[in-house]
Amino acid sequence: MDRRHFIRLTAISGTTAALTACGNPENQLIRFIPEEELVPGLATYKPSICPACSAGCGVIARVMEGDAEVFRTGQAGVIKMGLAKKLEGNPEDAISQGKLCARGQASIQITYHPDRLDRPKKRSGERGSGHYTDITWEEAIKELTGRLNELAAANDQASLAYLTKPRHNRRLELIASVLQKFGATAPVTYEFFSDDVLRRANAISFGSHQLPTFDLEHARYVISFGADFLGTWNSAVAHSAAYGRMRQGGPGARPKFVHVDARLTQTAANADEFVACRPGTEGLLALAMAGDETADRAAEVTGVPVATVQRLAKEFAAHGPSVAIIGGAPLAHTNGAFHAAAVNRLNEVAKTINQPGGVSFASHGAFIATRPLSAIIDAVPTVLLVDDVNPVFASPAAWKVEDAFKRVPYIVSFGQFIDETSVLADLILPDHSFLESWVDAIPESGSAKAAPSKCGPVMRPLYDTRSTPDVLLEVSRRLATPLAGLPASFEEYLNREGAASGSPAARSPQPAARPTWTEPSFDGEAAQYPFHFMPYASAQFHDGSLAHLPWLQELPDPMTSGMWCSWVEINERKAEELGIHQGDIIEVTSTQGSLRAPAFLNPGIAPDAVAIPVGQGHTNFTRYASNRGVNPISILAPVIVGDTGALAWSATRVKIAKVGDAQTYDSLILFAGATRERPEWAHGRGDEH
Amino acid sequence: MAYRWGMAVDIDKCTGCEACVVACHAENNIPTVSAQQASRGRAMHWIRVERYYEGNFPDVKVKFRPVLCQQCDNAPCEAVCPTYAAHHNEDGLNAQVYNRCIGTRYCANACTYNVRFFNFFNPEWPKPLHLQLNPDVSVREVGVMEKCTFCVQRIKAAKTAAKAENKTVADGTLQPACAQACPTSAIVFGDLNDPNSRVARLATSPRGSKLLEDLGAEPKITYLAKQPWHEQDSY
Repeated sequence: MDRRHFIRLTAISGTTAALTACGNPENQLIRFIPEEELVPGLATYKPSICPACSAGCGVIARVMEGDAEVFRTGQAGVIKMGLAKKLEGNPEDAISQGKLCARGQASIQITYHPDRLDRPKKRSGERGSGHYTDITWEEAIKELTGRLNELAAANDQASLAYLTKPRHNRRLELIASVLQKFGATAPVTYEFFSDDVLRRANAISFGSHQLPTFDLEHARYVISFGADFLGTWNSAVAHSAAYGRMRQGGPGARPKFVHVDARLTQTAANADEFVACRPGTEGLLALAMAGDETADRAAEVTGVPVATVQRLAKEFAAHGPSVAIIGGAPLAHTNGAFHAAAVNRLNEVAKTINQPGGVSFASHGAFIATRPLSAIIDAVPTVLLVDDVNPVFASPAAWKVEDAFKRVPYIVSFGQFIDETSVLADLILPDHSFLESWVDAIPESGSAKAAPSKCGPVMRPLYDTRSTPDVLLEVSRRLATPLAGLPASFEEYLNREGAASGSPAARSPQPAARPTWTEPSFDGEAAQYPFHFMPYASAQFHDGSLAHLPWLQELPDPMTSGMWCSWVEINERKAEELGIHQGDIIEVTSTQGSLRAPAFLNPGIAPDAVAIPVGQGHTNFTRYASNRGVNPISILAPVIVGDTGALAWSATRVKIAKVGDAQTYDSLILFAGATRERPEWAHGRGDEH
Repeated sequence: MAYRWGMAVDIDKCTGCEACVVACHAENNIPTVSAQQASRGRAMHWIRVERYYEGNFPDVKVKFRPVLCQQCDNAPCEAVCPTYAAHHNEDGLNAQVYNRCIGTRYCANACTYNVRFFNFFNPEWPKPLHLQLNPDVSVREVGVMEKCTFCVQRIKAAKTAAKAENKTVADGTLQPACAQACPTSAIVFGDLNDPNSRVARLATSPRGSKLLEDLGAEPKITYLAKQPWHEQDSY
C-alpha cells in the first residue's frame, strides 16, 4: 500500500461519520486528495486557446494548486484543485508566437468572474426580468429534448435555429452536423465587426473567401487603409509580432508604414506617415496608386493632395516588397466592396500575392455553411439556441432584434453570463469556461501555413456547468428518434481525423477587372447632421463582449487613457470653435436616436467626424459592465454595404450639442499616473476640497 | 559577480497595445479599484503606456512610451523613506518591504516618474476572482505603497534554479510579465553587468536615452528612440 492510498483510506474511514452530517462526504474528502500532478507551490503549464476573438491564439496556462469553493452535482464544497493563474502566449503556436494581447491576458477572468452562471436555470418571471429558478441538468436536458421532440413530431425541424459567433473551428463543424442530422437549418452567425465584405472581395479577387495574412516581417513598404491590424482587427498578435520584427532593422534598413484614415487609431499612431482621407473614398487612393485612376481625380475625391497621391504611388512601386492592407471603417461604408476590390487590385498590380513581404491565405478547413442574422429576424424560429453571442446589444436599435427575439416561442442560452440576449432565454444551460473544456481553433489568418490546434481542459470545472457540444450530443442521443452517426463526446470528435487542414480554394487565374468607383451614401443630411459618426472596436472590449472583465474596464485606453467610461472624441480645434471643453457632456444625435457622453478633445480626428468606442453601454451584463457608458451601435442607421447585406457601420451622420459642463467624478475618467487626486482638466470645476 | 537588472524599451516597436499593463495586473496581484476610485486618481497600474500627441489633424503624430519604475541607482524614493521600506537591494533593484511601510507617501511624492501607488483601502477580489491570485506575490493591504518590482518573484525563482545547477541566469531565460506578453517584443530585460546580454548592448545604443535623465536619478531603463524613415533607406 503506497502512502497516497493509505491517506485516502484513513481519510475515508476516519472522517466519513463526521462529515455525512454536514454535506456530501465525497466533496469533503476530495480535499485530502490533491490531484496527482500537483505539487504545492510549483506551477505546471497547460495549453489552451484564447476565446477573446476569432484569431485563435494558442495560450499556455500556469496552473497551481489552490483551495476552491466549488459547486458540482448539486453540492457545494471546498476542494483542492489545480487552478489557472495566468495566461501566456504559447511559443509553439504559429499565431500567438508566445505573445498575447491585453484582451487575451484578461480572458482568464471569464473563468473566475463573480457573476458567472454556476448551474442550469429555468425562467420563472416575465421574459427579460432576469428571474430564474435553479434546475438540475437532468431536468434541463429533459426540457430541451421535449421541445425538440415536439418540433420533430410536428415535422417542423426547420424551425430550430442555432445562433453563435462566426468562429473557425471544429466545434462549430460538430454543431452544424448535429443540426443537419436533426433536419434544422444551418447555424446563424453574427458578430458586429464582421469581415464578410473583405472575405467576399477576396473570393472574387483571389479565389480565397477568407481574411488575409500579411508578411510584415519581410515587407519594405506597408500601406494600411483603415485597418487596425496592430490593435483589434484580424490576427492582431501575429501581425504585431511580425511588425516588431519589421521595425528591427537599423539605420539604412527601415521599412515605411503609411496609414490612411479619418481618425488616428492606435495602429495609425505607429505609422511613419498618416494620410488623412475623406471617409468612404479610401479605395480611390488605392486605385490611383495602382495606376487605374488619375492622381488628380483621386485627389479631388479623397481630399489627399495630388503631390501626396503621386508620391505614395511612386514609393509603393519603388520600395518593394510592398503590401496594402484594408480593414475596419472603409469596408463599412455603403461602397465598402469597392474599397476592398481597389486595395486587392493594388496588391495584384504590385504582385504581392503569395510573395515574401506580401499577402497570403493560409490553408484551413472548408468553411461551414452559415446563415446571417437577418434569417432569424425575418422568419422567427420556434426554438432558438443562443451560444455565446449577444446581438441584442451589438446590433442597431433599428434592426429590432430584441423585439424579434421576444416573439420566439422558446429560447435556450448556453451563455456563461446573463447579458442583454441571454436574459431573454427560457432555459439557460451554462457552458464550461474555455479553461474547463476541450477547445479548438482553425485560424483563418495570422500564419502563412495552416495552424490548427486543439487542447484539453486546463482545470476541472468550478461549477455545475457542461460543455455545450457535449450537451447537444447528449440531447441528440435522447431524442425520440436519436440522431445516428454522431460521436460520443466533443473530445472524441476532436481526436478523430477531420477536415482540420483542408486545402485552399483554387485561385482565380485571371486578374480581376478594374473596380468601378461608386459614391458612398450616408444616413442623415450633411446640412442637418454635419459629422461623420465613427464607432470603433475598443482596445479593451473589442465589440463589447469583454466589457464584463474588471481588468479591461480599468485598462486605460491607448489613445485617450479613458477607463470605466465612454467618451465622444472630437477634434481639438473644432471643439474650441464650438466652445466645448474636455469632459463637457455632449449629446450625439443621429436619425435613429441620441446618446450622451463626455467629450474627449482629440487632435487625431478629422474636424468633421466624431467617434465613440464600442463596448460600453450594456444594460445587463454583470456588475462591472451594466449601466456604464453608452453604446454607439444603438444609434446607427440600418444602412447596408451594397450587395453584401453587412451593416455599413461607418455610414451614419450625426449632429452634436453640448448639454452640460464637465463633471468631476464618474464621467470622463482618465488615467494620469499614480495618486493624482484630481484630473488636471477638472481643476476649478465641481467640488473643491 | 552580482546581477544588475535593467531594461530597454524600444519606442520604435511599442504599438501602445497595453498587453503589458494587463499582464502586470495578472502577475502581480494588482487590484482594480472601481470607477469611483479611479476617477479620484487611485487606479493602480505599475506599468502604463503614455502617449504624446504632436500637432493637429491631419498633421498629427503620437508617440507611445511605456512607463514603469525605472529602478534608479540614485533613487529619490529611497532617501526619503523613514522606515527603509524603500531600499536598494543587492541586484540594484529598488525594493519595497511592504511590512515596513507605514504609508507616509513621501516616496510617491519624491518619485520623478509618478510610478508609486498607494493602497487607499484594502483590495477586493469578489469571489472567486481571488482564485486567480499569484501565490508567489504578496497581496498589499491598506496604507501600503507599491510599485513595479521587475517581477522580483520571477528573478528569485530564476536565480534559485540557476544556483542549483551552479550556473548564472542565462540571458533571455528570465522575463518580467510585461516583456513576456509584449506582442512586438519591444521590452528587453536582462543583466546590465553581463556585457554580452542584449539589454547591456541596447543600453549603449546611439538611439538610447533615459527618462528625465538630467534629474540625476540614474534610471536603469533605456528608451530607444523612434526612428524616422528616409527614402534612401529603402533602396
